[in-house]
Amino acid sequence: MADLRINLAGIKSPNPFWLASAPPTNSGYQVQRAFEAGWGGAVWKTLGDPIINTTSRFAAASFNGKKVAGFNNIELITDRPLEVNLKEIYETKKRFPDHAIIASIMVEPKQEKWHEIVKRVEDVGVDGFELNFGCPHGMAERGMGAASGQVPELVEKQTYWAKEVAKTPVIVKLTPNITDITVTAEAAVRGGADAVSMINTINSLMGVDLDSWNTVPNVAGKGAHGGYCGPAVKPIALNMVGECARNPLINVPISGIGGISNWKDAAEFILMGSTGVQVCTAAMHHGFSIVEDMIDGLNNYLDEKGIVSVMDLVGKSVPKYSNWGDLDLNHKVVARINNDTCINCNKCHISCEDTSHQCIEMLVDANGKSYLKVREEDCVGCNLCSIVCPVDGAIDMVEIKQALPSMTWNQRQSRIASFMTEKVAK
Amino acid sequence: MSEYETYMEEKNRIDSYFDKGYQVISIFENLSGTFVDFVTGEGASEREVVQLQLITAEARKYIATKLLFVS
Repeated sequence: MADLRINLAGIKSPNPFWLASAPPTNSGYQVQRAFEAGWGGAVWKTLGDPIINTTSRFAAASFNGKKVAGFNNIELITDRPLEVNLKEIYETKKRFPDHAIIASIMVEPKQEKWHEIVKRVEDVGVDGFELNFGCPHGMAERGMGAASGQVPELVEKQTYWAKEVAKTPVIVKLTPNITDITVTAEAAVRGGADAVSMINTINSLMGVDLDSWNTVPNVAGKGAHGGYCGPAVKPIALNMVGECARNPLINVPISGIGGISNWKDAAEFILMGSTGVQVCTAAMHHGFSIVEDMIDGLNNYLDEKGIVSVMDLVGKSVPKYSNWGDLDLNHKVVARINNDTCINCNKCHISCEDTSHQCIEMLVDANGKSYLKVREEDCVGCNLCSIVCPVDGAIDMVEIKQALPSMTWNQRQSRIASFMTEKVAK
Repeated sequence: MSEYETYMEEKNRIDSYFDKGYQVISIFENLSGTFVDFVTGEGASEREVVQLQLITAEARKYIATKLLFVS
């Protein structure tokens, strides 16, 4: 049985699975039920000046019959007064002293506002704070949320203000609606952040109704951009976590967020540098009980790998995450079709012929039976055929040992630089 | 001609020049690919400069690999 306890910047949790600051963590009733189900921690729905929400605040994208491939919300922070939330936080912490409660907070970019809310919230016994610099809708228009999170100087300054008075760890939650999240992550670290969390939701519009021409969602026929999350955003979030994890200037723990639906997703985020993970959409889709499979699955995985503690898994894939320019250009893989497994649907041929390198041939053997074959000398190893193939194991990507030594793009450019001229072609 | 066949032609030309003792004196790259100027080696009776245009990605990798690890 592996040890799933984590310590994220001094915040202890019985396991790495936290609920993210969102509708599931709106009230004490919900957080307490989540803890009963097994969640290790919860980031309380963002506290601040209570807002007013609209109806029709969620929308989802389904894909090929699978519901909630992506999820969009135009819901804002808490609509309940601070005192109501603080009372419920106090009661929840008293009932569940060993589970982590982190208070997400958002106020205007003024020092006295940050001082006030940090002191008042810390008094009720939270284990830490998460500064919300990421809400992309509603709050950004008021100079808060993503409007702060897109300006490194504001991230640094507000983090510093919170840290001036906080006695518990401060996590800074970053927006992905930015060119380079490492810039704001570095700013948070400069401001004194004990950890960073990412990603918040992505600016999005879910769709348009083809009959009414209304946006989806809409409020009485009018729409506004919302925040996108759920399984569809996982690759975006995973990359951002990885980029921060491999940045030497971001030397604080990371709480990974973005489309985590099961233990495998969680393990991937941990491998890419997250000490713990936060979940929202999957809990909204399936309920709090999903954490049971997450705990069991992660436990079994660690046991199979012979890893004693989940903390030993953190960042193990980060050294493998590189810059494009440092990838080996002379590494070669080619596709090989297993004709025993292939069902001759020809999807690989169609994709390759139309959109890749035209190297999969439709042939007929001596018995008149059709089969598909890759012309390996023309195959560039792009993976497209194996991606579109509907049959597991029908196409393998096989490494071909090269006579040539490894050479990266950066090495290439560096070597030919000494020969480079401004001449024109003859 | 397939891209592989084009590459093999370009590779063979590169190898041929190196085998004959030619040396690379300049390389430039533009929208049309990589242009490599070879000059006859020391000891050649006549100095000759020839230019090779490489249009395949594999050949453009190959010339750099030769320069990086052979010369």
